[in-house]
Amino acid sequence: MFALAKLGIPRLLLDELSEFARPTLDALRQPLEEGRVAIVRARHSAVYPARFMLLAATNPCPCGYAGERERCHCSEVDLARHRRRLNGPLLDRIDLLVSMERVGFNPLDGAPVVSSERAREKVIEARERQAARLRDEGILVNGQMDARMLRRYVPLDRVCEQMLTDASLSSALSARGAHRALRVARTIADLRGSASVKAKHLGIALSLRPEAHMSGRRAA
Amino acid sequence: MTGACPCCIRRCWLLGELSGRLDLCARDPVRVWNLLKLSDGDLIEAIGGRRRRELQTAYAGLEPGTIDAGTNVQSMCRHCHTYPQALRESPLAPHALSLRGGVQRLDGMLEQAVVAIVGTRRASDHGMEIARNLARGLAASGVTVAGALAEGIAVAAHRGALEARGATFTVMAGGLERCSPAWCEVLYRRLHTHGCAISEMPWSLRARRWGALACARTLALLASMVIVVEAEERPSDLACAHIAQALGKPLAAVPGRVSSPSSRGTNSLLMNGASLIRGPQDALDLLYGVGTRKLTEPLVKLETRLTAVIEQVSAGADTVAKLTAHGIESGDAACALTELELQGLLVRGDAGRYIPTMSIH
Repeated sequence: MFALAKLGIPRLLLDELSEFARPTLDALRQPLEEGRVAIVRARHSAVYPARFMLLAATNPCPCGYAGERERCHCSEVDLARHRRRLNGPLLDRIDLLVSMERVGFNPLDGAPVVSSERAREKVIEARERQAARLRDEGILVNGQMDARMLRRYVPLDRVCEQMLTDASLSSALSARGAHRALRVARTIADLRGSASVKAKHLGIALSLRPEAHMSGRRAA
Repeated sequence: MTGACPCCIRRCWLLGELSGRLDLCARDPVRVWNLLKLSDGDLIEAIGGRRRRELQTAYAGLEPGTIDAGTNVQSMCRHCHTYPQALRESPLAPHALSLRGGVQRLDGMLEQAVVAIVGTRRASDHGMEIARNLARGLAASGVTVAGALAEGIAVAAHRGALEARGATFTVMAGGLERCSPAWCEVLYRRLHTHGCAISEMPWSLRARRWGALACARTLALLASMVIVVEAEERPSDLACAHIAQALGKPLAAVPGRVSSPSSRGTNSLLMNGASLIRGPQDALDLLYGVGTRKLTEPLVKLETRLTAVIEQVSAGADTVAKLTAHGIESGDAACALTELELQGLLVRGDAGRYIPTMSIH
């Protein structure tokens, strides 16, 4: 799996993430955080670049019908086991988590809200904006910003500061999670053509953080 | 230190011995309750089966020390002066109880009005949130919240009461040694450190189905009012409601969707004359008379855009997609939902849905 990523494949798509073995999932942590894989054996160590975009999908519960109580037959124990598989440290390293509703019959027929071409244009625009801003740092995208750059390029107003404090107090938003949320907020601002990060952008970014999703429902 | 008397400890032992036999009758709650009314001798006679002789000899020869139990566990029986008044008169009541959390604390709790919050084990996240909100509101207003320790509504009720740092106790379906859904261990520990846990079963007896029925009748006896939040229409879900009705206790229920099986039980209770409850204030009105006690809950001041969103969510547009369909821009919706979540007014449910934690009027 990583071999592919090492070869420079930029994206990694894992379907049914929660069905992967625990060691495999844990092995994802380092490349997700640092963009490289270090392999240390008795006398030698090797570091490979492994910067990739991870896309993963998983069922909400073992039977897949969570949210439709009448159809979901998972017991609390099943749900707890399912949740445990995607452990905190891994989720912490994931930027965006979107809970999907069951798609009805019609929505697939209708035209998408944003067409792929339009989305592509917007993304290209946003990436150009990011590249222009980060030119001096020698990086291309927001995702590569470290903590120092975040302080420099993502100044927060008072409302945003408050929001971030609240989030770290109420949900289990870690320092890493907060940094990731800031990068996402900056990207959302770029997509919307805003020069600075507003409360709204941070709000959206926080709504996509994984922490609250997985602790939701009966574990609350 | 109080302790149960020898004859009541014998009873406790006997329940443990007959646990399996009693479980065979668990399909019919009324039968179990009738059996529990019997004296020890009659009980052996009724369900002892082939072990009758053996049990009778063992019972006669039993030399009870105390109810065997771990530390911090007290026991009391109907012959102790500390035994709850509500349990002393009824023939249906348990003969002896073991207790974690202290006799004084339980006494203090029973001096207040006691509301039992019961319901189905397979609760929807909506039902869980209603139960939690109800318990939190009541506990904050000085009412004692009681419940069994079972999956679903009961767990939500205890959590709500503990959140409000209110009084809450749990009646266990098995012995006090272990809690019966094992994953409730943390909640159970919090319950007997901040509240109480009581059980009439021997210390290490594992929970069985008849235990749930026995604990429904203890709850109904101790409670000033029983509130059912979400129940399917089957005897196990409605056991506590039925026995409360039989005992003439006030019964209330939270209405649910007419089409949903998980609220068929509550809706039929309402149809048969149970009081309707929309939130903690309604329960307070029922307990103390209309307008006597006001709910002590912090007033929430919200911006208009947030109020609009939370109203939509309460009305059923509970995902970003549905809110967008109601004409709120998706970014605005996501941001408003996050803000409301940070203020503790919403929590996340399954499939990207948001659930209000309290009713905003």
